[in-house]
Amino acid sequence: MTGAELALYLLGVSGFSGMIGWLAGGRRLPQRAPFRPSSRRDEATMQGVGLEELLAVLPDCAVLLTRTGSLRFASMEAQAVFGDALGTIVRHPDVFAALQRLDAETVLATADIILDVPVRRVVHLVFRLVPETLSLAGVPVLAILSDTSEKDAVERVRADFVAYASHELRTPLAALIGFIETLRGPAADDPVAQKQFLEIMATQAGRMQRLIEQLLALSRVEMMEHRKPRGEMDAARIVSRVRDESAPLCAARGVELKTEARSLVFQGDEDQIVQVLLNLVENATKYAVTGQRAPVVSLVMAQSTVGGKAGVSLTVADNGPGIEARHLPRLTERFYRVEGGQGQSAPGYGLGLAIVRHIVDRHDGRLFIESEIGAGTRCTVWLPLRGERRQAKERPSLLLG
Amino acid sequence: MTEATHTVKSYEQELERLRGMMARMGGLVERQTAQAVKAVVEGDEEAAIEAPDLDPEVDELEREAEALAIRILALRSPMAIDLREIVAALKITGDLERIGDYAASIARRALKLDMDGGISLIGLRSMGRLVQDNLRRAIDALAARDRDQAIAVWQADTAVDELYTAMFRELMTYMMEDPRNIGSCIHLLFVAKNLERIGDHTTNIAERIYYAVTGEMLPAVRPRGGLGPQYASATVPDAR
Repeated sequence: MTGAELALYLLGVSGFSGMIGWLAGGRRLPQRAPFRPSSRRDEATMQGVGLEELLAVLPDCAVLLTRTGSLRFASMEAQAVFGDALGTIVRHPDVFAALQRLDAETVLATADIILDVPVRRVVHLVFRLVPETLSLAGVPVLAILSDTSEKDAVERVRADFVAYASHELRTPLAALIGFIETLRGPAADDPVAQKQFLEIMATQAGRMQRLIEQLLALSRVEMMEHRKPRGEMDAARIVSRVRDESAPLCAARGVELKTEARSLVFQGDEDQIVQVLLNLVENATKYAVTGQRAPVVSLVMAQSTVGGKAGVSLTVADNGPGIEARHLPRLTERFYRVEGGQGQSAPGYGLGLAIVRHIVDRHDGRLFIESEIGAGTRCTVWLPLRGERRQAKERPSLLLG
Repeated sequence: MTEATHTVKSYEQELERLRGMMARMGGLVERQTAQAVKAVVEGDEEAAIEAPDLDPEVDELEREAEALAIRILALRSPMAIDLREIVAALKITGDLERIGDYAASIARRALKLDMDGGISLIGLRSMGRLVQDNLRRAIDALAARDRDQAIAVWQADTAVDELYTAMFRELMTYMMEDPRNIGSCIHLLFVAKNLERIGDHTTNIAERIYYAVTGEMLPAVRPRGGLGPQYASATVPDAR
């Protein structure tokens, strides 16, 4: 058994063609084995390179499974692309059914599955039964995963866009047409009414334009939701960008913005996170000005742990009147608006938080909204410290289970 | 190989088999719940049929897991964490089986729903997604024996209660507006209640994982939502 043989197996399963060149190009691999050393291990090496180390750096989403579907190993690429969703994927009943089909004669099987949570994904899996002689630490099934969500997302997003645009634009458009008819008919010779109507029409048109912009932004974030962010971002730079970009808005509304952050570099899409915080700050200023006190909005960065994972939380808090508990879980629904409990409902389309939610999901983060009547609302975006964690780890692969 | 290591090895294998069964049950009830929500929210008939169809498999697995757990208890007299894990497994499979039943009942109801009264299903969709996500996290925590994740799931059920209360109010309003809505709304109310029950069983699973891993019980009183508007914290569900 040689590494080259393994490479041929992988080629058969994944169609990946760069492997041979990579093998010829020399090796700088971690020396520690991610698997328990076994007697078979010494044979299953090529010049001291373990099969598992090789699999770990395979630029494809490879996982090793037992016959009953327990996940034993995931390549770095599989972890980067699927992250939290790997567990849900491998225990899907269709995956189990495919594993049952494998036997001495049927060594290949496939499955296509659709997941709803944490983000909608369509995944295509190819399974290969690994022969006993090549068995990787006794784990018999090698699977290659590919994410085919893109096509599905494009279709869904397009359909949604048309539905929402037509639904939400119908009312303001009907109003515009009404005014145009009035201007051509009864108000044709009334300059005072004309001026007044044109003003209302300009407001309505501007509203429609902003709505379309928001819908497009929502479509964009939905389209790339299943693609994990790979850039780097700095918490301090994010906060200072948000402060600068929201300064005109805060000045116009007479809101004092306090920020607090320190430098911490981790993995994520910086522009998107800035967008998230700008949306939250904009909402917070809206609420702060309807409160009884001088409006203050704060943006604070802190390190915190959620569900045992280290991460960064960015909290936007206002001192407005607060939001009733019954609205909280529904705030991120599209077009959900808190009807004015205090008599003043904030203007908006109910899309800002939907956009926030999609971006946070893409980062495997969490969104927490807390509110106390009379004291204010706190929105916390928690993002896992990806990237950082990987640097701290000595070996590139993760042994699961 | 000596007798002692052989015994330990096959014991380890039995435990592994039990864990595998739980993961499979987890995968099945996740699928059932997903299909049940889809059946109601999207009116998908195929999904409505699939969810109850998976039920016998879940029941069969529960029986098998129970038999295996009892066998391990009887023959191996496990101690400490092993004992806790097996006792927890007995209860967790029970919770999973109940979740499957609720999902099947939601799906059956979806077939009877006649949705043309202009009733919004957005709230129900949020609730469905949130329940699914918590269930997924709980089963992940089970596979990884992760107590922090279990605590996170245990706390996240507050938002489900909150949404249930909101759904209740919303559906009441529809019924008062037009009596012709009453039939559909009653079905939807049961759907919401069943989702809320799935959330409760998910919380139970989280409690048992915590117990199995740490040997300690979580407080008897869980943080509950839906009680009043004065103060609340919620993990917000998804936007779709």
